[in-house]
Amino acid sequence: MSQSVRRTSRERLQGAGLDLALPYLLLAPSVLIVLGVLVYPLWDGLRASTKLYRYGTVLRDVGFQNYLHLWSDQQFRNALWVTIRFVTFSVAIETVLGFALALFCLHEFRGIRLLRTALIVPMVITPVVVGIVFRLIYASDVGMITTLSEALGGSQVQILGNPMKAFIGIVVLDVWEWTPLMFLILLAGLQSLPQEPFEAARVDGAGAWRSFVDLTLPMMRPVLAIAIILRTIDAFGTFDQVFVLTHGGPGQATTLVSLYGYDTSFKFQQVGYAAALFVTIGLIVLAFALAAVRLLRRVEPI
Amino acid sequence: MTGMEHLKRTVSRRALLQGSAGLAVGTSLLGGLGAETPAKADSKKVVIGAFADGGLTPFKQKILPLAKADGFDIQFLEDEYGVTLEKWFADAQSGAGQYDLYLLDDPWVPQFGAAKVLEDLGAAGIDGTDPDWISSMIDMGYWPPRQGPRVKGFETATPTLICVPFVGDLQTLTYRNDVYTNGSPVTWDDVITQGKAGVAAGKIKYPVVFRGVSGNPIVTSWYPVFLSYGGKFFDDKWNVTFNSAAGKASAEFFVGTMKQNAPKGVVEFDSDQEGAAILGGDAGAVIEYSGNALKADDPTQTKVAGKLDFGIVPKKVSAISQMGIFIAGIPKSAPNKANSIAFLKWYTSKEIQAKLSEAGSIPVKRSAFLIPDPGNRLIPVALKQLDAGCLPRPRTPDWAKVEELLGIQLNKALQAGSGGGAALDTAATQVTAYLTQAGYYN
Repeated sequence: MSQSVRRTSRERLQGAGLDLALPYLLLAPSVLIVLGVLVYPLWDGLRASTKLYRYGTVLRDVGFQNYLHLWSDQQFRNALWVTIRFVTFSVAIETVLGFALALFCLHEFRGIRLLRTALIVPMVITPVVVGIVFRLIYASDVGMITTLSEALGGSQVQILGNPMKAFIGIVVLDVWEWTPLMFLILLAGLQSLPQEPFEAARVDGAGAWRSFVDLTLPMMRPVLAIAIILRTIDAFGTFDQVFVLTHGGPGQATTLVSLYGYDTSFKFQQVGYAAALFVTIGLIVLAFALAAVRLLRRVEPI
Repeated sequence: MTGMEHLKRTVSRRALLQGSAGLAVGTSLLGGLGAETPAKADSKKVVIGAFADGGLTPFKQKILPLAKADGFDIQFLEDEYGVTLEKWFADAQSGAGQYDLYLLDDPWVPQFGAAKVLEDLGAAGIDGTDPDWISSMIDMGYWPPRQGPRVKGFETATPTLICVPFVGDLQTLTYRNDVYTNGSPVTWDDVITQGKAGVAAGKIKYPVVFRGVSGNPIVTSWYPVFLSYGGKFFDDKWNVTFNSAAGKASAEFFVGTMKQNAPKGVVEFDSDQEGAAILGGDAGAVIEYSGNALKADDPTQTKVAGKLDFGIVPKKVSAISQMGIFIAGIPKSAPNKANSIAFLKWYTSKEIQAKLSEAGSIPVKRSAFLIPDPGNRLIPVALKQLDAGCLPRPRTPDWAKVEELLGIQLNKALQAGSGGGAALDTAATQVTAYLTQAGYYN
């Protein structure tokens, strides 16, 4: 009896289209969350970027005026230039170092597992903590470098008070923290390469360098491209460490667009202008990513 | 049985839906259990937001327990200075009601005032006309300001009391009494000359220390020098006047002479390094707010306890310092508004202000400065400084941007060790352009 009742109920539910609706019902929470935390804020940000805010409230619509004003804003142009230099140097050094470390750690030897684990530690430390630690290293009064220099008979080392050195300082910090990510991605890529071409090359008498140039590099190109794209997008958004370490100084030597946008929005309360700034940066990063993906597609498979 | 069939049997649709419903109900119940316990019916709950600063230590240590004893249930929520403005402004604007009372930094009053998000405290029964207030401090609680230029849109508005002074912080001079043996140095020349003698005698490493970091820190350090040279920041129509001859002379002195007599890395110094230099015994003198000065007699916090004295700031033509008080405002969205007003009335009463002074904090009422036994040697000096001259920063919601533009140029000149006057000219051009675009001169 109960079985027949259950069957009837099941049939009724099927009749009501539950089978068809269930996948959508299951997806609904995720879709709602994405709409709420991603799509809506993005849309709201785009709307805000076309408005003039004063004292926290909208005064009027200004169309694309905020976007146009960006390019005559010396502080924005400076921040963009600093960011581009920062991203270029950081990502380039991280790629070379990460690749070198990945090649080294590809070999199996005693202690390799421990070494691989140790190499990824910087990446898991909270960025703010990294900023504080580097402040303790760079500070000219009691910093580790100055202490070391004075112990060796030298004088105080000025890093954070010198524009060029402070810029190098934030690049070094970023390289220290994020080379492990490149290392990890590239090591995974290297480990997944087929071994047959290398064995064939060895049989043909190719040396290590020739194998690297003619086989490893071409085969790793897609992985390298993905790693560089990911890291570049991430580096454009660098904020915490620089906020803690230099807060953009000295002068504007380390003012990244993220810092300038943050100050513009929260400190100076120019919400519309800051929204236009971040949309512009988003578009620049998107253009870079699309260009990189296009380039990647042109690469002929080995 | 295939894996899929097994899965189908194990997780049927009915089970999944039942499980989801159970989870939802369970979550709701747990949420209910975890809900905040209501405050005791007889205590008056007040949620205070503050930024971390040594100037609030006596209040936290001595006054909060008194408030509790007098029936207030205070939740004191502290944050880093850098994040409080954005947090509270968002709270006030969205009407989230996370706080009952903000302890603002006084330059933020125009921002909150112009956004019209704070309660009218005068209408709520707080008497702004009480002659016991330090007049320059209570002035800062009004928006638009009772004196001086007003920003566009508020030219004819009636000044409203939206904040009340909470801790009367201001810059004074802290100096080493074994270096400046004739008492507080009166002029900048005294500071440098006697400081150099102290360095030669091996008592200190450098005559002065200050904050050189770009933005607010360097402007805060330069400001009393600028005022002492007779500088004026804006005229009555918001025209930039800080690059006057007096202003330029102050900037040249600041980035030249003062830098030469400060620690080598002063360009990167902020309040932590500045405090370490004076409390660690390396610097001869510093102009600072009360945060570090309050530590001057505590041997656990300074290597030179007993050797630090306080005086009014040195002068060129006058001895004027910068005022930077903690000032309390109640957001319109405060959930416990009546309690907050009751708390402010209690806190600003003559009796509690006297207790604050006994606790070692700079009060906001004149009577509390005059009690027989203030808890800190700094308090009578602060009153002397108030009487000698102490000015707030220009009262505009755009001060943060103005300070940023000026701070960048001053910091660049400080790096170079010269060019203070030219830095002010550049900053003046940038500030004028910014204010023009913001509609100040239309």
